Amino acid sequence: MCAMKPQQKILITVVALLVFASFSVPVFAQDGGTVLAGAELTRVVPTSFYFQGQSAPTQMRNTAAARFGKERFVIVGMVDTSGYSAEIRARYQGFFITDSSITVGGGTLATGAYGFGFTNDGKLNILDLSGNQMLSVSTTNDKALRRPRPLTMMMDGSNVRLYAGRDYVVIAAK
Amino acid sequence: MFGFVTVLLSFSLLPAQTPPQKVEPQQPMGGASTGRPATYTSRRTAGITDPNAPVVFEDVTDKTALANFRHVSGGTAKDYILETPSGGVAIFDYDNDGRSDIYLLNGSTIAAQQGKEKAPRAALYRNLGNWKFEDVTEKAGVTNERWGFGVAVGDYDNDGYADLYVGNFGVSRLYHNNGNGTFTDVAEKLNVARRGWSTGASWGDYDGDGRLDLFVPGYVQIDLNNLPPNPSAAGKDGVAQNFCQFRGVPVMCGPRGLTGDGDTLYHQKADGTFEDVSVKAGVSDPEKFYGFSSVFVHVDDDKLLDLLVVNDSTPNQLYINKGNGTFEEIGYPSGVAVNENGREQAGMGLAVGDYDNDGRVDFHITNFSDDSNTLYHNDGDTNFTDVTFQAGLGEVSIPFLGWGTSFLDYDNDGWQDLFVVNGHVYPVVDAHQWGTSYAQQALLFRNLKGKFERVGAQPGSALASAWPGRGLAIGDLDADGRLDLVINNLDGRPTVLRNVAASTGHWLRLKLIAKTPRDAIGSVVYVTTGKTRQRQDVFSGAVYCSQNDLTLHVGLGAATKVDKLEIQWPDGSTEVVDVAGVDKTITITQGKGAKQ
Repeated sequence: MCAMKPQQKILITVVALLVFASFSVPVFAQDGGTVLAGAELTRVVPTSFYFQGQSAPTQMRNTAAARFGKERFVIVGMVDTSGYSAEIRARYQGFFITDSSITVGGGTLATGAYGFGFTNDGKLNILDLSGNQMLSVSTTNDKALRRPRPLTMMMDGSNVRLYAGRDYVVIAAK
Repeated sequence: MFGFVTVLLSFSLLPAQTPPQKVEPQQPMGGASTGRPATYTSRRTAGITDPNAPVVFEDVTDKTALANFRHVSGGTAKDYILETPSGGVAIFDYDNDGRSDIYLLNGSTIAAQQGKEKAPRAALYRNLGNWKFEDVTEKAGVTNERWGFGVAVGDYDNDGYADLYVGNFGVSRLYHNNGNGTFTDVAEKLNVARRGWSTGASWGDYDGDGRLDLFVPGYVQIDLNNLPPNPSAAGKDGVAQNFCQFRGVPVMCGPRGLTGDGDTLYHQKADGTFEDVSVKAGVSDPEKFYGFSSVFVHVDDDKLLDLLVVNDSTPNQLYINKGNGTFEEIGYPSGVAVNENGREQAGMGLAVGDYDNDGRVDFHITNFSDDSNTLYHNDGDTNFTDVTFQAGLGEVSIPFLGWGTSFLDYDNDGWQDLFVVNGHVYPVVDAHQWGTSYAQQALLFRNLKGKFERVGAQPGSALASAWPGRGLAIGDLDADGRLDLVINNLDGRPTVLRNVAASTGHWLRLKLIAKTPRDAIGSVVYVTTGKTRQRQDVFSGAVYCSQNDLTLHVGLGAATKVDKLEIQWPDGSTEVVDVAGVDKTITITQGKGAKQ
């Protein structure tokens, strides 16, 4: 058995990882979502969130989370920005945390913690923690929805709908 | 390994995302709870008149002693939320002389709270008839001299004299009516001296023991020694400002971001004292929503009083009485927690009444500017539908910031019309062309058989005036069969509006005396004339931290006789009362019929 050169070892390792990863993608894509409730929900929701130089408390009543597979979570919540405040709420309503890569309204979102805002013209904007727009996708208005809430998640096949009132986007595992 | 692969997937194998873009602020919008950006070239909340409009109300304030009253609530800059929502007003007959009297709450100042200056006093005006009022505050002993917000009327001890619960910032009061023109604060003695920021309370016998109980909403927890940053300090010395803005301009902070105050239900015991049963009954508001208005009323008509709480910037709560001393909160499933789009609104005031004459009680809730008020139609079976825009109350209300609201049949046509008092909380709105203003016109809507139409304001008439209004109370102050109004204005004098509507129908005034609770709170009256069957409820509180006259007023339109008058008394029993004639005040005593 001849000894391999260091460069060969690295190449084999990278190829092995890529092969492993390529097998892993369809596995994740098949992971169905589950909307969390009760203690399972409160266990994963942070009580406050940092965004653009401010930490604001979470509106625990307006939080939602989904689990994809066994241990991939998407956690979304509105935060209690003060007062009848102004434009900051138009673009920043709360946090959007995902610990795996997902699609949101068809757009790809990498692992991370973000701010989000649903706009009145039918968009969901996702921003990084300094306010840079990372994703902007169109929302769907669900006129048939009975008793809409400020923020909630519902199942949509194996995917999850994130609702803000009657507007929603579909979140799916990648 | 799994995690490592995940990271690899996340950062190495994904398609490249769109390069980050710095987001510029959108069109500024107001109203945290809903809010739609609106650009106006002129104000929509003041100076809107119609030369062809009828004159419905005459401002007679100057002709009365109420012109001497000055409401005070902090400084003019409105640096703190404590300075903006006071205060309520009550119309009630405290001396049983048959004339409706007026009680106006006053605010206070932070300096007065800290003992550095004298606190302003509330005022009780005795109605002498012919629009003459006498200030009897000192003699009656109801000066309050605390930061007053809400007033609710109820004869808690069934002695035949109406008592007052005053919700204060600090310690609230229960003024017992001694029956001789004086009152005594018995709040501490009877265990209802609620601490915190108490607002619009409501009396009601929720457990059917014949004794009035008391619900008191709490608003926000404020520590005068640790106040939130004020607008003038925003952005300086590290004071954050971007969470306390309105349309990008620094304003006072709150309520969002501040800790709310829970709610309290006091059950009256057989010995006349009260016990706090909030937690046991399931109405303690553990999430500490920002409570402003409340009412005990029959929502599902099972003869048990239910409870609605209107909250600012948080969901409204509807508590259904389970009949065992506890309530079930069904705000969301019932549809009244949020508006039709699922948004939390800045609930302030509450009108209670059957506006479409279908026999069920409906609700109208006032909200912030850049948002509509909300009309909830009661569909039965504890289901409500937001019908604001279909009913004609949506678009017109958007620039206004609403407070006191009440159904009233101002023209006696047999359909409950609607009145709304408005006024902004941010003085800075007058410095910008945002379509709104600090002082705002009131809104009167005529009910056209279930749809509403704004009644215009003739130039120079009362409805053309603008006030920073808050509390509102309805009653027939001159007993002429037309409902009058009193508005408590922030930092100013009140407004007394005499109903001078030219063309009105017939009417009845009904004063009910039940076996117990004696003031008949919790009664429901059904009046049938021809094919029309109206419902009216005797309730305490609601409006906005205020109290309408407990004497019911029923417009009859062209009808010159009542075909049927049916009363469901607080104990659940029903009685049909013979009524002879119209256009008069009738006292009906349970089991003894009408005294006409």
